[in-house]
Amino acid sequence: MVDTMLERVTRLGEFEWEVPRGTVPGMSVPGRFFLSDSLYKSLESGAVQQLANVATLPGIIRYSLGMPDIHWGYGFPIGGVAAFERDTGVISPGGVGFDINCGVRLLSTPLTIDDLGHRRELIETLYQAVPTGVGAKGPVRLSIGDLEDMMVQGAAWPVRQGYGLAEDLDHCEERGCMTQADSLAVSAKAKQRGMPQSGTLGAGNHFLEVQVVKEIYDPGAAEAFGIHPGQVCVMIHCGSRGLGHQTCTDHLKVLEGATKRYNIELPDRQLACAPLSSPEGMAYFGAMAASANYAWANRQMIMHTTRTVLGKMYGIDYESMHLVYDVAHNVAKMEEHSIEGKRIAVCVHRKGATRAFGPGSPDLPPRYAKTGQPVIIPGSMGSSSYLLRGTETAMERTFGSTCHGAGRILSRSAAKKTINGAKVKNSLSREGIIVRAPNDAAIAEESPGAYKPSAEVVRIVDALGISNLVARLEPLGVIKG
Amino acid sequence: MSYEELDHTADIRLRVISPSLDSLFAETALAMMKIIYGEPCPGEVGRTLELEAGNTENLLLDFLSEVLFLSEVEYLVFSSAIVHLAGNSLKALLTGEPFDPERHRGGTEIKGISYSGLRIVKEDEGYVLDILFDV
Repeated sequence: MVDTMLERVTRLGEFEWEVPRGTVPGMSVPGRFFLSDSLYKSLESGAVQQLANVATLPGIIRYSLGMPDIHWGYGFPIGGVAAFERDTGVISPGGVGFDINCGVRLLSTPLTIDDLGHRRELIETLYQAVPTGVGAKGPVRLSIGDLEDMMVQGAAWPVRQGYGLAEDLDHCEERGCMTQADSLAVSAKAKQRGMPQSGTLGAGNHFLEVQVVKEIYDPGAAEAFGIHPGQVCVMIHCGSRGLGHQTCTDHLKVLEGATKRYNIELPDRQLACAPLSSPEGMAYFGAMAASANYAWANRQMIMHTTRTVLGKMYGIDYESMHLVYDVAHNVAKMEEHSIEGKRIAVCVHRKGATRAFGPGSPDLPPRYAKTGQPVIIPGSMGSSSYLLRGTETAMERTFGSTCHGAGRILSRSAAKKTINGAKVKNSLSREGIIVRAPNDAAIAEESPGAYKPSAEVVRIVDALGISNLVARLEPLGVIKG
Repeated sequence: MSYEELDHTADIRLRVISPSLDSLFAETALAMMKIIYGEPCPGEVGRTLELEAGNTENLLLDFLSEVLFLSEVEYLVFSSAIVHLAGNSLKALLTGEPFDPERHRGGTEIKGISYSGLRIVKEDEGYVLDILFDV
């Protein structure tokens, strides 16, 4: 099985590979993925199998796609992108994941590295201010009414409460709110989990990182994004917490039953799905959108805390810190794309992939109309993160999508066995990078050695043109969940 | 407790082996607690669960999802589980202690339990479960 999967892969170009139809029974389109020679060596057969499995889902258009951070997940591979025709296609929680709208945002500041002073104190203050890790409670206890409003309004809810600026909303994908949100489709259990957790970072690969802009590749786009060399920025990576996890759990169960009722044959039960137009499919979509809105509100609350800390410590105005952009990594969206010259309404699933809409896209604010959407690619802990821009090529080739991060190469257990968290922390500290986490195992699991080199991943997307490099940011300090 | 971690790049995949389905369910729930909280200690707080599902695999998934939910919303770390299955329904008694940030932050959050690769097989050595947790 292991060899059969990889043996079926054919090479189409320097960075492009195909998984032909027939690799698993029932594929209606081929799989396509993008990797360099060096990254191909780390490709798991499980990821190829999952890419092929997605190609069996009803209504899939053109290809089951894998971005250069493709790796073995559950349901869809991580780095997986697939579009389904609105009228004949399906929606699947396996194409979104448990952490609905796990995403990342970048906050720019007027500070330079020389202004920071005692970096350890800054990181410790942020660590105390932003609740992190297992069992953390948020700074604001929401009422059920607040939570309902948050699920409907998304990032606008905290902004209306004074936790942000109106301009922040222009700089979020979907303006930080999917209008199809249906909070009635979110269970009481999910709401119970969501109420105490708003404004918490979570655990695992989630982080808040203080960074410095080290290199500019595209001065024009960098200027539009408000980014310049030596500038201090803050990157926030987290998702919809227990509310999203429970929503996925609840609807997966319903869709598992629905799959049989709609006579859909699946190679993996995690791909449980239902037609987009079915009651079950619509209920999941509405609940997923509500959870996505909660995630945008969550990142907005954390950014507010960050602005407040930086304002107090360095005497800078709240309004002088700008949200560059906020992108979702795990989400399904109704979008229009040009397929063979026709505009078609599709549901694009991005599972560990970033939207990368090109210049002129109506979804972008005027400020980014000429550059294309800012695309934020976090590096693994201690390595560079990148700012890119969306392109016309992405619109043509990948349903306006690109990679979402570095992508793991080492399992968490292997990382814990082979990497010593305390040593990683000390070695990063020698490089001037301060790490604050609840335990050393969390540091070992997420250390740079467990991930593909982020530089190689972004080199591929840039060379392919599915997004183009704008700037490189280096970490100064990170708090982890 | 008899479980081992299987290879998986992004998430945590376990193989749990146990002589009966009752103990398999209980051991998997405790393995999950250990992943999230590190080593739990015995406690006095008890919670009961009653569930039914269409088949054994779905029952296990529902049971583990329920344990995850209870643990998170009630801030409880379970260190003992007694499970009785009757057909496709179960009764469970979970006991443990309240979450203590000083002692229970040694693990990693589990976001959900996946259907991917889920299988329970009866072999000579007992029931063998393969299961994947999204972390």
